[in-house]
Amino acid sequence: MRLTDRRFALLLMAPAAAFLALFVAYPLLRLVYDSFFRISPVAGGPREFVGLANYAAAFASEAFMGAGWRTLVYTLVVVTAEFALGLAMALVFAALGRRAQVFRTVFLYPLMIAPIVAGLLWKFLMIDNFGLLGALLAQAGILSDPNQIGWLSDPGIVLYSVAIPDVWLTTSFMCLVLFAGLQNVPGDLLEAARLDGARPTVLLFRIILPLLRPVIAVALVVRGIDAARAFDTILIQTNGGPQSASEVMSLLVYRTMVRFGDPGLASAMGTVYLVAMLAVAVVALATIWRPGKDT
Amino acid sequence: MLSSHRALKRTLLAGAAVTAIALTSCGVGGPTSDPNSKSVTVLVEAGGHAELTPIAEQCEKDTGIKTTFVELPYEGLFNRLTSEFSSGQVSFDVAAVDSVWLPNVKDAVQPLDDLFTDEAKKDIFPALVAEAKPDGHFVGMPVWTNAEVLFYRKDLFEDPANKAAFKDRYGYDLAAPTTWEQYQDAAEFFTKDGMFGTDVKGGVETEWLAHVLQAGSPGVVLDKDGKVIIDNEAHREALDFYVGLAKSAPSGAAQVDWAAAQNLFYQGKTAMTRFWAHAYRQIPADSPVAGKVGVAPMIGGEAGVAGIPGPWYLSVPKATKNAENAKAFVKCAFDHNDLAIGSKLGLAARVSAYEKFQDQAGYESFGPLVETLSARATATRPATDKWQQIVDTVLVPMLQKAVAGGDSATLLAEAKAKVEDIVNP
Amino acid sequence: MTLAPSLRRTEAGPTRKAAAGVVRRASRTAEAGGLEARRRGTRVILWTALAAALVLYGFPFLYLILTSFKTPSETIAVPPTLLPTTWTLENYAGALGRPGVLASFVNSLQTAVVSTLLSLVLAVPAAYAVTRFKTPAGSVFVLASLVTRMVPPVAVGLPLASMLGSVGLADTPVGLAIAHTTVSLPLSIWLMCSFLDAVPRDLEEAALVDGCSRLGALWKVVIPVVSGGVSVTAIFAFLASWNEFLFALLLTAVRSQTTPVVIANFQTQFGLDWGPMTALAAVYSIPVVLLTLFLQRRIVAGMTLGAVKG
Repeated sequence: MRLTDRRFALLLMAPAAAFLALFVAYPLLRLVYDSFFRISPVAGGPREFVGLANYAAAFASEAFMGAGWRTLVYTLVVVTAEFALGLAMALVFAALGRRAQVFRTVFLYPLMIAPIVAGLLWKFLMIDNFGLLGALLAQAGILSDPNQIGWLSDPGIVLYSVAIPDVWLTTSFMCLVLFAGLQNVPGDLLEAARLDGARPTVLLFRIILPLLRPVIAVALVVRGIDAARAFDTILIQTNGGPQSASEVMSLLVYRTMVRFGDPGLASAMGTVYLVAMLAVAVVALATIWRPGKDT
Repeated sequence: MLSSHRALKRTLLAGAAVTAIALTSCGVGGPTSDPNSKSVTVLVEAGGHAELTPIAEQCEKDTGIKTTFVELPYEGLFNRLTSEFSSGQVSFDVAAVDSVWLPNVKDAVQPLDDLFTDEAKKDIFPALVAEAKPDGHFVGMPVWTNAEVLFYRKDLFEDPANKAAFKDRYGYDLAAPTTWEQYQDAAEFFTKDGMFGTDVKGGVETEWLAHVLQAGSPGVVLDKDGKVIIDNEAHREALDFYVGLAKSAPSGAAQVDWAAAQNLFYQGKTAMTRFWAHAYRQIPADSPVAGKVGVAPMIGGEAGVAGIPGPWYLSVPKATKNAENAKAFVKCAFDHNDLAIGSKLGLAARVSAYEKFQDQAGYESFGPLVETLSARATATRPATDKWQQIVDTVLVPMLQKAVAGGDSATLLAEAKAKVEDIVNP
Repeated sequence: MTLAPSLRRTEAGPTRKAAAGVVRRASRTAEAGGLEARRRGTRVILWTALAAALVLYGFPFLYLILTSFKTPSETIAVPPTLLPTTWTLENYAGALGRPGVLASFVNSLQTAVVSTLLSLVLAVPAAYAVTRFKTPAGSVFVLASLVTRMVPPVAVGLPLASMLGSVGLADTPVGLAIAHTTVSLPLSIWLMCSFLDAVPRDLEEAALVDGCSRLGALWKVVIPVVSGGVSVTAIFAFLASWNEFLFALLLTAVRSQTTPVVIANFQTQFGLDWGPMTALAAVYSIPVVLLTLFLQRRIVAGMTLGAVKG
C-alpha cells in the first residue's frame, strides 16, 4: 500500500516531534507540577502539596521581583547596544565594499567562543586591582586611578558591565544579519534618492531602515530571547553579586534550586519565567512573522 | 558545490568513526564503582585534593583501596552534592564536605559513630567534635581544619625607621597587633607610598564573624537556640571595626574575596591581612614578599582571640553501593592525618599532627593556628541548613552595603528581619 | 498560506541565494549598489573606524592568549602587564596536567559529535517533510519547534537531569548530548527548512519517475544536493554543544564533564588559578576560532539564515 503524502510527512516528522515532546515538553510539565509542592532537597524526602504557596512566596520575594526587573534591563541593554553597534558596523562594511570582506571574518571570531570563556576574558579585563581596562584608562589619563570604576564591584553599574561580554560576543551576529539585509536594498532606489539630494541620515532613516524592518525584527527577537536567558557569562563574572545587583532570572532559579535546596520554589520561579518567555515569544512570532504573508 | 559535497562525505566518514568511539565508551575520566574491586571515588575541592593525595597513596598500600579523585570548585562542589542528593543518584563514595554544608547533607550521609572512639575524640579540636554531630550522629570525620590568623610583613614591622616613626605617632612599640586598636593603628600607619595597611573583604563573611566572636557575642547570627542575634551589640561593634578599616585598604572592597585579598598580600600591596593559615606555606617563591612574612594568632577584642574554624569533613553518602570501602578509606584518612601536612595545602585535623610539626622551620603558621583554634571564644558557625542562603542573600550583600557607607545599625536590623524570614518561613 | 514558508519569506533574499551556495554573488550585487562610499575622504574615515573597531574587537582574545604565556604570579600582577615579561608555558603545563582536563576534551568532543549527529538525523527528514508536503501538521510542528527555542534551559535542566538519571544516562556524554540536542534541534530544523526550500522540486520528481522510493529520492537525490546546507547545520549544532555550559553544569559530574565546566572549576575558594585558567580557555577556543577562518562562508550563510547563536 502506498502511503499518502500526508502520512509520509507525519512519519518523517515523528522522530523529531517525539524527541522534543519527551525531552522538552515533558520536563517542562514536571517543572510546572513540582511548582505546587514543597520538596525536600534530599531524594526520597518528604513532598507536600502546597497549592500556590510557592508562587505567593516567589512574588512576595524581593529577589524574584528584582531578578525579573534586572533580566528585563539586561536584555534591553544588550539588544540595544548590539543593534546600534551591529548596524554601524554593517553600514561601514557595506560602504567599504569588497575590499573590507576579509575583515568581516575577523569580526566574526567572537561568535565561535564559548560564553563561559568570554565571561572569563572580560572579568579578567574588568576585575579590580589587576584588571587591564582600569589600568589602561588610567594610563590614558581618563581615570585618575585604575580602580576608580569598580566595573564588577559597584552595584550601580555591574549589570551593565556584565553585559559587555554578551555584546562583544554577538554584535557580529547582528552585524552579519543586517549586512545580509543591506545586500537586498536595491541600489537604484538609493541612487535615485541621492540624485534627489537626500542626505545620508535621510537615506538611513527613510529608506534603509524601513526596508530592513523584517530582518531587524528577526534579529532583535532572536537576540532578545538569548539575552533574557543569559547565565554563563554572568555566573563566571560576578555570580550575581555584589548585593545581587547582577542576579538575573536564570541565576536566581539555578541558585534557589541547587544552592538553597528549594526545588519547589525554584520550580515556581522557573514556571513564571518560562511563561513570560513563551508569552513574549508568541507575541513576537505573531506580530513579526505573520505580516510576511504579502511579501 | 561539488567540492563541498566531497568535503561533506569526508566529514561524515570521520564523524561516523568518531561516533563509533563515542558510542562504545561511556565517557572518560570516570570511576568504575564496582563494589568488588577495592576502589573509592572521592569528591573533593582543589585544596582537599592536594591534602588527600598523600593519604590516598598510603591507604592504597595499607588497605589495597585505590582512590579516584573528582575535583570540583568550591561552589560547584556544594551544588553537585545537593543536586546528586536530590536526584538520589550519587557518582561518588566519599565526599569532602565544608563544615557549613554538614546540616544540608546530614540526612543523606551515613553515620560514622564507630569511627569516633574516645581516643579519636581526644585528638580533635573540641569545636569540631561538636560540629560533626549535628543530630545525634557523627556524620563527618574531620580531615583538616583551618582558621584565620594574622599575616604581616616582618620586614616592614622590623624596619628601624618604621619602628621609630610608629612609636612617635602612637606612643607604643610597633609589633604584630594583638588587639583591634593596634590593628587599626598599624593599618593606618602602613597606608602610605602606594601601599595599604590591610584589606577589607566585602565579598566574604567569615572574617567579620570572627570579629563578632572577638567582641563577645554568644554566637554568630544565630544563638544556640536558633534565635537571630545579628543585631546585638557585638555584631554592630564588629561591623563598625570591619568597615572602619576601609580607609586603610584598597578600593573596590565590595568584590574583594579570599582570592583577591590573598593576591593583594602576595603582590606586596598590603602590609597585613587576616587570612587562612594555609596561605603561609603557599607564598610563591617569586612573590615580592617571599621570606618576609610573619604570622601571629588572630587579633582579639573584648572577649580575647577568636576565630571561625574552617574544617572539612569526609562523609559517606547513604546512596553509595560501596560503603564498606568508603568507610575504610575515611578511617585510614584519619589514621594518616599527619601526611596531609606535607601537601600543598598543608593542613591537618588532629591536634597531635599540628603539634608534631609546629616547632619545625617552615611551619611557623602552626603555632598561631593552634592558638587561634584553641582560643576560648573560638566557635563554629551555626548548624542550619539555611546557612548558605543566609550568607548569599543576607550577610554578603549587607557587608557590601556597609563598605559602601551604609549605617551599621540599620543594616543589621534589616539583616535580622531577612534572616528571620529565612529560618522561620 | 502556511506559516513555514512565510517564515522564510521574511528573509527570502539572502536565504535562497545562500542556500544555493552563492553567498558571494549576493554580496556582489549589493556592493555594486548604492551603499558604497564614493568620496575619498569618507572612505578614509570609514577605514579608520573599521581599524579601530577591529582592534577593540580582536584585543580581548589576544590579551587572553598573551596572559596565558605569563608566569602564574605575573598573571595577576598589580598593576597588570600587557606583554609577558618572561614567556613561559607553565600555565599550559599546569592546565593540561591537571587531572580530568584532557578527559574533558574527549568528553566535549564526544558530546558534540553525538549531539550533532542526533540533530541531523532528526532534523533533516522533519525539515524535508515540512517543506515538501505543506501539511497543517507541518506548520504546527515548525511553530512548536521554534517555541522550544524560547524555553530557558534552566527550566528544563533539573527535571531533565532526574529523567536522564532514571534511565541510566546520568553523567554520560550521551545524556548530555540529548540535552544539547534540545537546543540544537529546533535550530537545525529551521536551517534545514530554509536550505531544502531552495532545492528545485523537479529533481526528486525525476528520481521518482526513475523508480526511486520517496525515501530513496530524499537520500540519493535531495541530500547530496543540499549537502552544503547539511554541513552548515552540522557546524552550528556542533558549536552549540561545544560551547554549552548550563546543561553541562547540571548534568555532568565525574564521567562526562566537558571543558567549559572544567574552565569554570578553576575558580576555587582560595585559589589563584587565573594563569592555568587562561591557558585552558585559549586551548579550548583556538580550534573554533580557526574553524571560523576556514569555514567562514558557511558560517556566514548559516548565521544570516538561521539568526542563530546561543
